[in-house]
Amino acid sequence: MPRRPKIPLDGDPDESGPRLPAVSPQIEPGEPTDLELMLGIQQENPEALSKLYDRYNGIIKALILRVVHNEAEADDLLQEIFMELWNQAKNFSAQKGKPLGWMVTLARRRAIDGLRKKQAYMRAGERLQNETEQQPDAWVHNATEEEINLSDTRVLIRKVINSLPPAQQQAIDLAFFRGMSQREIAAKTNTPLGTVKTRLELGLKKIYDGLKELKDEL
Amino acid sequence: MSFKEFQNRARLYVIGALENGASREFEKARAGFGQKAEDFITECYRLHEAFALSLRPAKSSGALKERLMKMVRARKQSQPAGEQPQSQ
Repeated sequence: MPRRPKIPLDGDPDESGPRLPAVSPQIEPGEPTDLELMLGIQQENPEALSKLYDRYNGIIKALILRVVHNEAEADDLLQEIFMELWNQAKNFSAQKGKPLGWMVTLARRRAIDGLRKKQAYMRAGERLQNETEQQPDAWVHNATEEEINLSDTRVLIRKVINSLPPAQQQAIDLAFFRGMSQREIAAKTNTPLGTVKTRLELGLKKIYDGLKELKDEL
Repeated sequence: MSFKEFQNRARLYVIGALENGASREFEKARAGFGQKAEDFITECYRLHEAFALSLRPAKSSGALKERLMKMVRARKQSQPAGEQPQSQ
């Protein structure tokens, strides 16, 4: 049985409420933290990158795949992203966030750039249509998967996301995993722009608040 | 702009879903709220982690990692000691 992830809860409540819990997976005792590995990479230690890769390649690849839907492209991007991480490590600052957040931001940007380049060579509308029809609400769809294979952290985060109405999930999914603007989402879903904005704002707030509530369970 | 409205926009901002017109107002409010705004934006970036962690991890081949580590070591060797890695 998987162990419940131990989530460090940092930060004090301020006027915007308690901070979001850090949602990184649990690290075994004695293993270096993500921050220690980033410091190692900044000192050009390949072993630190190797460990960080082992820890997060699955998550980063899942994110890339969710954007590009192609195994070979995802592998290429995964390699590029970790290479970029190595090259750009000096720009990482712990004050600006956690290493996982930095990696995810980097990966998402690269994957969306890759998708856009590809779309320049394809009939973008048709491709997007096909892909969103295949997986219109990936989070909703994933909720029916065997949760036995999912870590506790993932189950809890999914629970928060799945508590959103499907239309809000879809709007966030298109914005986050497709890099679509509010206008593009409105056009894609035949929804008024104002409604898209409201869906995004409400959905993101609910997820944000839901993650804060997870503090008690994680 | 109230701080509450700023918070709503910050959550859109971190996922890149803030429209151009709203971006200008957002940046103005961001400057006005100062450190409090920066702290909240940093906080919002945890949404990225959460979205990534909501996905089932995908498998990668061992060959991919070998290739990556080979590139990293080659890159390291090609740099004279003390040289900063290049930004992309």
